[in-house]
Amino acid sequence: MSPALSRRDLLRLASAAAAVPLLNACAGAPPAPSAEPGTFTVYWNAGHDYQAYRKVIAEFEQAHQVKVNFQKYQWPDLRTRLLADFASGSVPDVVEEPGGWVQDFAISGNALSLQEYVDRDGRAMGFPSDWRPVTVERNSYQGQVYGVQLHLTCTLLLYNKGMLDAAGVEPPTTWEELLEAAGKLTKGDVYGIALNQDHGYAGPWLMQNGVRYYDPATKGVLVPHDAAVEAMRFQAELVHKHKVAPVPVSGTDYSGPQKLFSAKRAAMIITGPWDLGPIKQTSPDIEVGYAAPLKGREQATNAAGTSVFVPAKARRPDLSWDFVKRITALEVERAATKEVGMLMPRLSWAELPEVQADPGIKAFADALGMARDASQEIRLTGQFGRFDDELKKMYQSVLIQNEPAAAAVEKFAEAARGYLK
Amino acid sequence: MRRALLYTLLTVASLVMVLPLLYMLSLSLQTEAETLSAEAVVWPESPQWGNYAELFARAPFGDFIVNSLVVAGGITLAHLLFDPLVGYVFAKFRFPLRNTLFVALLATLMVPFFVRMIPLYVLMAHLGWINTYQGLITPFLMDAFGIFLMRQFIQPIPDDLIHAARIDGASEFAIYRRIILPQTRPALAVLGLFTFVFQWNEFLWPLVATTTPEMRTIPVGLTLFNQEYFTLWHLTAAGSVILFVPTAVLFIVTQRYFVRGIALTGLR
Amino acid sequence: MSVLRPRTLSARYARTAYLFLLPAILFFAAFFYLPIGNVVSTSLMTGPSADRFAGLGNYTQALADPAVRHSFLVTGGFALIVVAGSIVLGLGLAMALDQPLRGRVAFRVMLLVPYLTSVAIVGLLWRNILDPELGVLNRTLAALGLPEQQWLNTSPLLTIAAVTLWQSVGYTMVLFLAGLQGIPETFHEAAKIDGADAWHRFWRITLPLLAPTTLFVSVMAVISGLQAFGQAYIITNGGPGDATDLSVFHIFNVAFRARDFGYASAQSVLLLIVIVAFTLVQLRAGRRGEVQY
Repeated sequence: MSPALSRRDLLRLASAAAAVPLLNACAGAPPAPSAEPGTFTVYWNAGHDYQAYRKVIAEFEQAHQVKVNFQKYQWPDLRTRLLADFASGSVPDVVEEPGGWVQDFAISGNALSLQEYVDRDGRAMGFPSDWRPVTVERNSYQGQVYGVQLHLTCTLLLYNKGMLDAAGVEPPTTWEELLEAAGKLTKGDVYGIALNQDHGYAGPWLMQNGVRYYDPATKGVLVPHDAAVEAMRFQAELVHKHKVAPVPVSGTDYSGPQKLFSAKRAAMIITGPWDLGPIKQTSPDIEVGYAAPLKGREQATNAAGTSVFVPAKARRPDLSWDFVKRITALEVERAATKEVGMLMPRLSWAELPEVQADPGIKAFADALGMARDASQEIRLTGQFGRFDDELKKMYQSVLIQNEPAAAAVEKFAEAARGYLK
Repeated sequence: MRRALLYTLLTVASLVMVLPLLYMLSLSLQTEAETLSAEAVVWPESPQWGNYAELFARAPFGDFIVNSLVVAGGITLAHLLFDPLVGYVFAKFRFPLRNTLFVALLATLMVPFFVRMIPLYVLMAHLGWINTYQGLITPFLMDAFGIFLMRQFIQPIPDDLIHAARIDGASEFAIYRRIILPQTRPALAVLGLFTFVFQWNEFLWPLVATTTPEMRTIPVGLTLFNQEYFTLWHLTAAGSVILFVPTAVLFIVTQRYFVRGIALTGLR
Repeated sequence: MSVLRPRTLSARYARTAYLFLLPAILFFAAFFYLPIGNVVSTSLMTGPSADRFAGLGNYTQALADPAVRHSFLVTGGFALIVVAGSIVLGLGLAMALDQPLRGRVAFRVMLLVPYLTSVAIVGLLWRNILDPELGVLNRTLAALGLPEQQWLNTSPLLTIAAVTLWQSVGYTMVLFLAGLQGIPETFHEAAKIDGADAWHRFWRITLPLLAPTTLFVSVMAVISGLQAFGQAYIITNGGPGDATDLSVFHIFNVAFRARDFGYASAQSVLLLIVIVAFTLVQLRAGRRGEVQY
């Protein structure tokens, strides 16, 4: 009769509640390995699990009597994971990053300065003397080194030799030649060139036109303004005015132009070495030609590629540094290039016979000398996230939605005045 | 005539709906070159059944499956245990602050998970539960979705049934177990199905709450088959087929609870 | 013990209710309200580690930020389409498949397939279908001599809303199917005897008796529609430009790409307020519509 709980009910409820900790006790899995003394945790890109690196890891384990917990992620996932780690204070020992994070984390105090180690071991390992200057600069903050470049890539103009020969077109070296070549190559459902939907590909055009992403002295973005407008307009006109390039589709991958190239629907694309594999695999009959980076007011391409760094709270920085040293050795670079054709940041790497003998790798290696990191200055303001987001909007609104370049660049600068105060 | 129209409509709709399944199957049997080809390959020239074996060779995929089953299964059981009880209280009891508490409960669904993920992660790290099953399961033992669902399905049950049982001297818990639960079978089937499907596909929490490959669940494990600039779709698709099968089986098993007749006999 | 024993019957019911609720209250406090409280306090902070106090700065900034306003508008439009569509289509399919129809089990399974399939595969599938140059749809349209589409560029929001509907309609169908099981057959039979036609029976019997389910489906549809994320994340990456910059996608980028957790938290709190408001309106309307039988 009583609406109150009977004793039996209470017991049932209690046992249900007790089931939770019980479940936990039964499920007892090992505790977090980064807390284990014998484990050394490395975060890596899932696409960079090379045998060459596995070998280094095995040697490292042998030398230090540790077990390496090699955790592989996609870049966005790796970042999410890492930010959670920073918040909890339990961090991995070494992290690979896609470029730009080192300075970001150095500013926020989450990355460890490696300067002391560089001062000690730099001469022996050839750092910074054997690394291309751009790779040292983009991994430094306030005169201190925070990361070491692992891979160095850039983009080039790739072309379908058969198509160019058939149309009697020479590989273009300047913007004007590119426009002319693209016009001659566009026939039926074949486009002369295909542009990427990703705004990162705007970088080379802007740099070739002498544009800086950010000028710390005036706090202006995309300066000089006119040159930026001109560069954006040139790309948009390839698509909308001259119709020698298809309208890109906004998405999450960079493979659109490569697919058109592989399908013989585009004669030229601007891309990095990562597209060579898929082209070879899907269309082995295409003879790929490599043109040097284009010349606008100057000749330039963008520096990209990954670096390794050590989180500030890493518990054994000496061990972390040793890992960094081993994984960036010249012999390891050589092995990775042999294995997958990856491009590397050491100057002496470019001289290796493996590099010189492969026309594709050599073409990219030659272009690395002109590679620059356009976003470095804006990164040092700590506002790169907003800048990048706005750049994407601007790029896509001009290239895809055909908004007038002048208005879009003006809107972009207006937004920047807000967040760069 | 109307019936024919209905059949036609349903058939067309169903075909549009099973597209991804067929496409996923096709992808899972293609060579890597076929998956990369510009014009999507509809069906592979020679089906690559070896892709499935490769999953297990390249990663501890067996571990992924076990982890997914333990985590999604454990959470689903917890929901079936807790959600109906709480839903019952909100449906049939009058108590101070009931509506306020209910809205506060629903509010837990209105903050994107990733926003509260970092504080949750810090909490779990303090408990030492990172990379453990309890760390993967405990934050999801019940949720407002399930409670709200059960409340809505318990509400129409006549109050007279409850009063009658009270007069017969049944305890409150017995009323819940003997009177309420048996009448909510369709809802329990839905709750179990959706909780399992949701947790089975959950990505973000298992991503941050595991620190070794062996503790990953299938969706997190599948990201191992992505390269830096492209995805190994043949392996991702094969893994997705494996991911799909248990949820489909669960639906086929539970859907009979939504068939008119069977549910009603449960009442008597 | 006797001191604690409540005097009135209603007080006793209340005590029972709270006893039943106790585990839930503890659970939600630890795993939801504590982290959410943390989100609220983070919303008052700034900096990449969210460790500098900013007062209400993030809120005033968010209210004045055109990008935030834009993302809320985009989300509103998206949610409107998805909520209305999933209720109407889900209910329609559930009604159709609640009848003794040959092959209805197969139909039900097939209609739920998109909901059960991995989001990554669904994203890839639709990008492969809708790609203007190489997509299956345009190749087919071209072969038939029909004009080609560029939907992901010309009406991106509508396109991802349609894909979302396609994926979630099976899920609302299942909820409505379960709800229909709660309506006793006798009601329909009685109405049939009274000579009510199918249309009448739907409006006068099915719909009112389905009210609890409908309330659930619509409240949940609004909650999830306003927090949609996956399609923008997987298919369009928020573009072209900012055409599909859904609110939660925007917040995700602010939090994890731009690393401004304070600002992201403030935007989440604003979004929470909006969703609570919508939910309260729906619950109030639902209470009026609920029937007792």
